[in-house]
Order: sequence, then C-alpha cells, then structure tokens
Amino acid sequence: MPETEIAKTTPSKPSVWSNWLGRARTIRDVPPQLESWMFGLAFMGLALVVWYLVTAEWNGERFMPRYKLPSPGETFASFPSLWFDRALSLSAIASLARVLGGFMLTAAIGIPLGIIAGCYLRVNAFLKPLSVFGRSVPIAALVPLTMIWFGLGEVQKVMFIFIATVAYVLFDTTNAVQAVPDRFLDTGYTLGAHRTRAKGARRATFFALIYALIFSFGLFALDDQSESHGLLRGMAGSSFWLHALFGLTLGFLLWYPIQSHQLLRKVLLPLALPDIINNLRLVFGVAFGYIMLAEVIDAKRGLGFIIIQSQRVGPREHIYLCLIIITLLAYGIDQGIRVLQRKFFPYLKNAES
Amino acid sequence: MPSPEPSAGMPPCVLEDMPPPPAGMPLIVDFENVTKTYDAGTPRAFTSITDINFKVEDRPKIGEFVGVLGPSGCGKSTVLRLIAGLAPHFPQTMGKVFVNEQPVQGPGPDRGFVFQDYSNFPNRTVIDNVAFGLECAHVEEKERKAKAMEWIQKVGLDAKRDGLKYPHQLSGGMNQRVAIARTLIMQPKIILMDEPFGALDPTTRQSMQDLLVSLWRELEATVFFVTHDIAEAVYLSDRMYIFSPSPGTIRHQLKITPADRPARQMQAERSFQESVLAVRDILEKLELEKAALAAKGSPK
Repeated sequence: MPETEIAKTTPSKPSVWSNWLGRARTIRDVPPQLESWMFGLAFMGLALVVWYLVTAEWNGERFMPRYKLPSPGETFASFPSLWFDRALSLSAIASLARVLGGFMLTAAIGIPLGIIAGCYLRVNAFLKPLSVFGRSVPIAALVPLTMIWFGLGEVQKVMFIFIATVAYVLFDTTNAVQAVPDRFLDTGYTLGAHRTRAKGARRATFFALIYALIFSFGLFALDDQSESHGLLRGMAGSSFWLHALFGLTLGFLLWYPIQSHQLLRKVLLPLALPDIINNLRLVFGVAFGYIMLAEVIDAKRGLGFIIIQSQRVGPREHIYLCLIIITLLAYGIDQGIRVLQRKFFPYLKNAES
Repeated sequence: MPSPEPSAGMPPCVLEDMPPPPAGMPLIVDFENVTKTYDAGTPRAFTSITDINFKVEDRPKIGEFVGVLGPSGCGKSTVLRLIAGLAPHFPQTMGKVFVNEQPVQGPGPDRGFVFQDYSNFPNRTVIDNVAFGLECAHVEEKERKAKAMEWIQKVGLDAKRDGLKYPHQLSGGMNQRVAIARTLIMQPKIILMDEPFGALDPTTRQSMQDLLVSLWRELEATVFFVTHDIAEAVYLSDRMYIFSPSPGTIRHQLKITPADRPARQMQAERSFQESVLAVRDILEKLELEKAALAAKGSPK
C-alpha cells in the first residue's frame, strides 16, 4: 500500500524546534505577538549586555573610560541627581511646552492653508516654492537666524519649531486633501453640496476669535518670560490688541474658504483628516528632536540644556539618561496620539501606518 | 418556477426601432450634436464622443428607463457625466446639452448619480450617508434622520441594525443599496447609473435589478443606465441606445418591452433570451468594427 510507504519514509513527527526554524525561514511569515515582543526584548537585552561588557572592569582596566561611556549601573544610579539636582521634570515640561507651542502655531496655519491649497490648485502652485524651500533648507542653519530675529528667549524657540515644521505640515496636508478620490467630490456635488457664504462667515468668525485669543494671550505669555525682545515686539509694536487683530484677520482668512463650502467642510476635510492627523503625529516626533537644537544654545532649562550642561560640567551619565528619557517620552506621546486616532476615527480599519 | 413560455396576456420581449419623438412634447434630456474632445489642440487630443444626438421626452408620473450599451471605451460614461454636469467631462467641446429644456450649468441634486464603486463616505454611518443630501439642503437633523431611516428600509436594509454601521462593515451589495438610498432620497427626476451593479455577483445583481424596478415605479423618474451586461440592459430598459466604437456616437435606438415581471422569471423566457441574442449580435459587430478601426489606426 502506497500510503503506508509514504508514512514510513516521512519523519514520524517534526520537532518543535525544526518546525519553528521552518517558519522563521519562511519569507513574510507573521510571528505571534508574544514572539515579536520577545525578539524586541532580546534586542534590548543584547544592547545592555554589550554596554555592560565594554564598560566592565577587566584587571582594573575598562575598554571604554567612564568619561566617555559610563556603565549601565553608573548611569541608572545617577537618576536621582538628574531628577532632583537638575530638575528633570521641569526641563521635560519646558521642552514639551516649546514644541507644543510651536506646533500649535504650525497646525493653526499649516492645516487650513494646506486644505485650501489641496482644493484650489492655483493656491497650491503659488505656495509650492515656499513648501519646496521650507522642506529643503537645513533646519540647523535656522537656529542662528531665529536668534537674530527673535532673540534668545522662549519666542525664539517656539518660532524655530514653527519655521522648521510648517512647510512639512503644509505639504502633507495639501497631499492628504488631494488624495481624497474624485468620486467623493462627484458624489457630494450630485447630492447638492454647495457654497454657504453666510454660514461660512459665521463659522469662520468663531475660528477667528480663537486665533485672536491665541495670538494675543499666547504671545503675551511668551513675551513675559523672555528677557530680550527681538523682531516680533518691534513688528507688532508689542501691542496686545494689534496681535489680537492680526489673529482675528488671519483666522478668518484661513477658515472662511473652508467653512463656506459644504464640499470642503463635509467631504474633503473629514475625509482627509485622518491622514492630516497622522502626518502631524510624524512631524511632531521630528519637532521634538529639533527642539534640542534650539535648547543647546542659551537656555535656562529644557532637555537639550541638560545634555549640553552634562557634556560641559558633567556628570556624563546624565547625557545617556536624557537620551533614554527623550526616546521614551517621544514614543509615549506617539502611542498616545495613536490611541486617540483609533478613538476618533473608528471607521479606519487600521489606524496604524 | 420560471416558465419557459410567457404566460397569457404578457407581451413577449421585443426589440423595435425607436420612433422619433412627437413634436411639441417637452423634453427632459436633449443632446444636440454633442462632441467632447480632451486636450483639444494638443498632440494628445482625444475625442471621446462625437456628434451625439438624442431626445428623451419628459413623461410626468411615468418616467423612462434608458439603457446605454456599447463597446468599452466608447464614451457612455461621458454622456452620463455631461447630463450630471461633472468635470472633467463637463462641459462638452461642441454642441448643446439640455436638461428640462435648460442648458446644463453644473452638477445639482435634481440629477442623482449612482457610481459603480458605491463611493459611500467612509467617515459617515449608513444613516448619515443616506441623509447627506438633505443635510446639504439644510433639512433639520431629526427630520432628515427619520427620512433616511425610511429610505434605508425601502432599499431592503434593516435601519435599526445597519443604520449605525460604517460602509466598511457592509458587503458590496449592501453598500450599493446605501448608495441608491442616498441618491433616491433626494427624489431626483433624472437618475444616472454608471454600471451600478458591475462589481456585484450575479445573484445579488438580480435582486438589485428587481429592487431598482420597484423603486423606480415609485419615483417616476427618468433613469439612464450604463451597463456591460446585455441581459440586464434588455430587462431594465424601455429604450436602449447602442453606441459605436470610440469616438462614440449613437448607432441604434431600440424600443424594448419594459420589465414587468421579476428578473429571475422574465430573464428565463425564450423571447427575452432571443432579444438578448439580437442585441449581442449588434454589439459583436460593433466590437469587430472597433478591432478593424484599431488595426487601421495603429501603423502611424
């Protein structure tokens, strides 16, 4: 009987190990979640072991001296001094606040402008040089310029983040709106989507009031903290009401075109929003890195400031601790935004990517 | 049980040439020498339809079902989108398009459109998708939701169970039902359907055809229906336009027995199948013509 012959020639039962090896060698075989985590942990373990080995003492000598690379034990032992003496939490909050401030400005201008550019291709053509320039210019080169324009205070740091990120957000938002398939526009049109000027004006006024508040109170708060005043104060005459008027006008001009057409308000904006938010999340991660650039020069607190202080006067352990903390913080914020994405866009099958 | 012969009193399915419309009758759609050329004046110029002429009379309280058939790429969709006023097909390069004796100015809710790919808004629930048109027309929320629920039932979905679902949770057939409800809730006098059932399996397709016939009776609208399925076109149509190969122009106008029995029953009748075969012969000749044109055009 052929069946029994086959049964004889094949090995009785493949072992668990060879079974696993077979799967591991299969292209695009998806491992179970637990196994994925194990591999991630294995990498971290390996990194720790290598770190430990190159900093361990062998016959009283270290491969890497302490001032270059402290051992894991030395690094983690210095955490209390980082937390208490260097006021880590205050610095972390200061860094985050700067990024958030600059980022809020970026979102407030980049998103509506990007939506308009995504709908009206002539606006897009007009803004294209700006976005090409903004995305190609070396960001680090902007630090000295922002110091010339905005001084050394908080305004400079916020404006640096704004200038560094606005072109990306503008570009990504434009693309997100343009990526909405034409068939949704056709559907909207044939169901009667039209311009609603009066309603648009009412809604845009609401946005304009929010902008006025941000520009007046926001700038006022920043200005109060900074000891030197640069371009902004001179430009606006440091007048609270002038800032408010500027915000009011800007908010209205940016939001009226969006709010005054049902197709933009009810179709294009909501359909592009998940993409827009996702791009914001990615740019936020980058912005969190940029802020270190601004903070290594003349800051009084901030994670970048702690790093540069630790490099100058020590302890060097703090540099490594800060790097780990910054990474964890950025990762945590990223995951937090993802959770919000899943909550607010339940219709997206996967709020991944 | 489908009977092989038509039962007594029911007319067999017949094809005959369309008589010209009686003069003086109001027209709902009127094409006069319509030509559409893309990128005119450039080397990429492409003429999609040329010299299209047809008139569909306005029959209040009855409406009409106009099937549009033709070889692929002959500009059937262009004709539909010209009626709807949708870019980039609208506006036409030459000629005139009238709807209700007025030149078409752009898209509007008086001309509903059902697309092949459903295009329900993914961010809206079924109810909010169906209510979209009313929302645009500033109908109060309570009223438009009640009306949407009503239409969801009418297209054969369970308003309670499916109303709060999102399009990605529905099957293709259910999505197309939502798209139909979304279009018909506006009670358009003209409904344009561009291969609406092209992506559905044959069984779903037949039930959708029956649904369409029953809803259409209630709406009394004029329906333009583009399809590649000859049986579907013969079953649904009162009138059929058959297009020539690209650049498309209307080659045949046929008058067809309207659908008065369920699709499964009527489509099994011999006279129906003979009509389908007759139309298939016409289309095959046109496809041969298209191949001949392509062979002549290729050695440039």
